[in-house]
Amino acid sequence: MHKGTLTKEEMKTWVRNRYYYQTRIPKKDSSILTKSDDPDFRRDWVRRVRDHDGDEKNTGGLELWLRLGDGVGLNRAEVSSLTNVLPGVRRACDAYVEFVNGHSLLESVAASLTELSAGPLMGQRITAFENHYTWIEPSALDYFRSRTSQAPRDAQEGLEFVLGNAKTDKDHIACLAALTRKCEILWELLDGVEWAQSRPKIVDRARMRKNELMIVLPERAIELNSTGMEILEACKGEATVNKIAEAMMNRHNTIETVFTDTYEFLEKMKSAGALEYI
Amino acid sequence: MNEISYRPYNLIAELTYRCPLKCPYCSNPLDLTNYTETLTTEDWCSAFEQAEKLGVVHLGLTGGEPSTRSDLEVLVKHASELQLYTHLVTAGMPIDAKRLAVLAKYGLCSVQLSVQDSTPEMSDTIAGTKSFDRKRVFAEEVRALDLPLVLNVVLHRENLENLPEIISMASDYGAHRLELANTQYHGWALKNRAALLPTLDQLKIASRVVQDSRLLYPEMEILFVLPDYYSERPKPCMGGWAQNTMIITPNGRVLPCHNAGTLTELEFWRIPENSLDDCWTTSPGMNTFRGYEWMKDPCKSCEHRERDFGGCRCQAFALTGDMAATDPACSLSPHHPEIEKARDESIQSAPSFVYRDSVKKMGGKI
Repeated sequence: MHKGTLTKEEMKTWVRNRYYYQTRIPKKDSSILTKSDDPDFRRDWVRRVRDHDGDEKNTGGLELWLRLGDGVGLNRAEVSSLTNVLPGVRRACDAYVEFVNGHSLLESVAASLTELSAGPLMGQRITAFENHYTWIEPSALDYFRSRTSQAPRDAQEGLEFVLGNAKTDKDHIACLAALTRKCEILWELLDGVEWAQSRPKIVDRARMRKNELMIVLPERAIELNSTGMEILEACKGEATVNKIAEAMMNRHNTIETVFTDTYEFLEKMKSAGALEYI
Repeated sequence: MNEISYRPYNLIAELTYRCPLKCPYCSNPLDLTNYTETLTTEDWCSAFEQAEKLGVVHLGLTGGEPSTRSDLEVLVKHASELQLYTHLVTAGMPIDAKRLAVLAKYGLCSVQLSVQDSTPEMSDTIAGTKSFDRKRVFAEEVRALDLPLVLNVVLHRENLENLPEIISMASDYGAHRLELANTQYHGWALKNRAALLPTLDQLKIASRVVQDSRLLYPEMEILFVLPDYYSERPKPCMGGWAQNTMIITPNGRVLPCHNAGTLTELEFWRIPENSLDDCWTTSPGMNTFRGYEWMKDPCKSCEHRERDFGGCRCQAFALTGDMAATDPACSLSPHHPEIEKARDESIQSAPSFVYRDSVKKMGGKI
């Protein structure tokens, strides 16, 4: 992204999917609020929810992200409906909320410390967008601009809380583990986005059986239904995962979940060794 | 309870028990002299046709060493005409490049090569014969023909510490899959158990090595499971007795797993005297352990029975004398102390191997 090599399509996919992460943040922060007995902590922390949701309608971080969506040419209704979020991205973001729900206040705050690198990153991102992606209107970048001041302040507060409350070795280890897990979740999110741009191809060693719907590999045979076969037939190393899912959506517009079903099917076929990606 | 469907997806055709190697963990039967008479080319071709009608998709041509048969080309050609996914399981010798090219032309789909260790010295020591250099060249021959290559390495206490080198070798050979198979203690391997059984520490290190290697070689699938002697629950042997796989021995006996011949009380039928369908569907032996009715406690009332089917019948018989007993590898088995004792003994120093010579036993030359 920062090198300027993303196509418009790739940029749109990132913006659409990263919006799902944005929508999880106020939920995650609300969960953190319920963990604290300290009015001072809650007063400070609730600001994060307001930063994202806005003090009134059509303000706040989520609205700014939707404007970024407008700026890259996405349909706002589609983005905010969250229906076309990639399954891998959804899993990663949901895992973050679940992590916070299931862990202590201290660990949850520690997990938020990835913000420590967000401040400088936002500056780089704005420069990169202005230099490389001139097709995006400058006003669409207001979300990043708002974060250049919010992120360092949030990170500083979080860091002070963790340093002040992590007292034992056990606490330290738990905080490190929480932050590590959060880094993994962000990584999984990006993996999910990157994968959508890759071009699946049935591996050469696979054979399709003609008299029944089945793909046969050296170590396993997988029975398919006719829709599965239709998806596999599109896996020629030319169309991206995204394109294949869109084509399926156009052809089977009566099935509401066809977009994500296609992704999940391709993920399964990939882990079964039936597909390679180019 | 889940309804079990009995469709044989997989046929393992043991074309012969002759083999140029002498591995101390050989899993073929102990009574090799009973197998000097083997099925004819026509018998095998007819078996493949019947198997395809029964639903078989995968055909594994194995042995012994399948390339010791001179009709391998005919068999591969026939199988591929039947649209079977034909897989050659070989030691890479005595087969040569020319023969392999013919098999590829006739529709062979993939090749599994066994290698015993990562260095010529160690690998040849375990194989009991000079073979490592030939196997390396064979792997090149397979990849030059664009055939998918699976590398299979049997693990035991003498080679577990070379695991990083073994994995890197598999990647160098261009394998798309590496099967790290723990020795199963049946037949000849049970004779050598004390010399083969790894220690828990060795296995813990091996697990770590495998995990790291999966990141290092993302293009290669690495199969590694903890040996049943060290897991609390037994393995669901063959994915369940006579459910999805059938084995035909060199003399035509149709079995649910390649060791089932050791269950001497069971009656299995043979081709060509019987149809393959009858051997699979009707023979008494095949039906003995289908379903759950045969189980005794602790399996009978166990929540895991639909997952592991009580474990391995052959291991239960070999170690307890009762083929319907719970596999002693299961910690719930009253015979589990036998497994614990073997584990304890693994910490002691190991005796030397007892090698196996199939050619001497069966006569003739390779």
